[in-house]
Amino acid sequence: MIVVDRVTRTFETPSGDFTAVLDVSFRVAAGRFVSLVGPSGCGKTTLLGLIAGLIPMSQGRVVLGDRPVTGGVPPDIGYLFQRDALLPWKTALQNVALPLAIRGRPAGETRARASEWLRRVGLAGFEDYYPHQLSGGMRKRVSLATTLIYGPSVLLMDEPFSALDVQTRNLMENELLDLWAETRNTVLFITHDLEEAIALSDEVIVLTAGPGRVKASYPIPLPRPRNVIEIRFREEFTRLYEQIWKDLRDEVQQSYARSTRI
Amino acid sequence: MKSSRAMRARRGSERLRLAVGRVVLLAVIVAGWEIGARARVIDPYFVSRPSKLAHTVGGWFAGGFIYPHIWATVQEAVVGLAVGIVGGVLVGMLFAFFPFLSGLFHPLMVVFNATPRIALAPLFIVWLGIGLASKVAMVVSLVFFIIFFSTYAGLRDVDVNLINHVRVMGGTRRDLMRHVLLPSALTWIFASLRACVGFAVIGAIIGEYLGADRGIGWIVQYGESMFDSNMVIAGLLVLMVFVATLDGSLGWLERRFSHWKQKPL
Repeated sequence: MIVVDRVTRTFETPSGDFTAVLDVSFRVAAGRFVSLVGPSGCGKTTLLGLIAGLIPMSQGRVVLGDRPVTGGVPPDIGYLFQRDALLPWKTALQNVALPLAIRGRPAGETRARASEWLRRVGLAGFEDYYPHQLSGGMRKRVSLATTLIYGPSVLLMDEPFSALDVQTRNLMENELLDLWAETRNTVLFITHDLEEAIALSDEVIVLTAGPGRVKASYPIPLPRPRNVIEIRFREEFTRLYEQIWKDLRDEVQQSYARSTRI
Repeated sequence: MKSSRAMRARRGSERLRLAVGRVVLLAVIVAGWEIGARARVIDPYFVSRPSKLAHTVGGWFAGGFIYPHIWATVQEAVVGLAVGIVGGVLVGMLFAFFPFLSGLFHPLMVVFNATPRIALAPLFIVWLGIGLASKVAMVVSLVFFIIFFSTYAGLRDVDVNLINHVRVMGGTRRDLMRHVLLPSALTWIFASLRACVGFAVIGAIIGEYLGADRGIGWIVQYGESMFDSNMVIAGLLVLMVFVATLDGSLGWLERRFSHWKQKPL
């Protein structure tokens, strides 16, 4: 479970204080898949960094499971970054194995489980490839395996597929849902793409243009298992999209107006 | 697979052409030099002649005259290189992890690094004598700064994303050190290592010029004092082959440890 309770984060800048996240509260029940959508610059990444303990909070409280996040990275979380963060000097297998190696598991078990996870994300045979030898989609798969291998109960995802082409992206989204159906971690997924948010999630939370505040939250009662491509053709999907878009549109326009001001 | 084999074959033939071209170029230079000197187009008193040089260098090796001198230079360069690398890495790490120290010593480091090392050589000889120690000090004064700055930059310049990635998966400071910081610094250090070898030999030779009783630099200096350009050039030839061998073996090492890097297209 993730509880975010009246969280605020202010950064000091040369031109005065800048509030990235303002008084944000929401909760994600254990085993649920929740997306945060909002225009660019609404503090989504900051929010995720706060939950992961990578950025200290200015005010408020975050609780993961039954443990509050205070100073430092909480155990048992996974984080999929927007830019892939594979270590360039390690092979795909070594990258996937790293979380287990860090936990001091025996080398034999580590190797076996890492290659099993590479197989699960469709990369059997690529064990000895270095990141620069893999395509963007393949690197994402390696990142996903690296994050899932140690079974974190909370999974934070920061626009993980935004740099991929549309086809690869849809494939990856389906694979993510398949893997998640088995692992059932609590997922908080950030995106600026409303379609992606609806197709993947149990609930979509709309954030306002910066400073990010929670504007509204929508349950997504679409049946699972889902196919992210086909689910978009359902009437319900369109209805939900229209409903949420009305909320999101104003924020996007505001954010756009702000970023294009001369 | 077929295309990669074709590509490899093409690359192979290109490499062969390059190798042949280099040999031909060298042959032309040597032949031009020899003929020019014999025809008195260039004065052999100043530039000697390849055949005469070959005779001199051959004699040095056959008679065993050269070995103690090569050994002396190798010793100075290698000991200085080792001390400079270890010191540079340690101080670089220290400064990267303790910004206060770095701030404290920064002006001093800049001033020392900007000082021409040749100017220090007489001091080293006064302090440490004309033996090994003064040459090692000379080499260290050159190598240390290069390695120090690369280590420092390599540690400070790590992608924050990589650090967060390892932190989030449960990595401790030690894990960060081992899996992220050190490999990153190592690529910087390796990149500057080849330059260091060049500087190490320069340092040793300069030291030998200014006060020594052996070494390749001493041979060159001795030849100069006798107005024997043949000896000077022969000494330089030995020096060149020596540096090229060292540099080649370092290039090989570098390739072995940077196999994960993207090759330039």
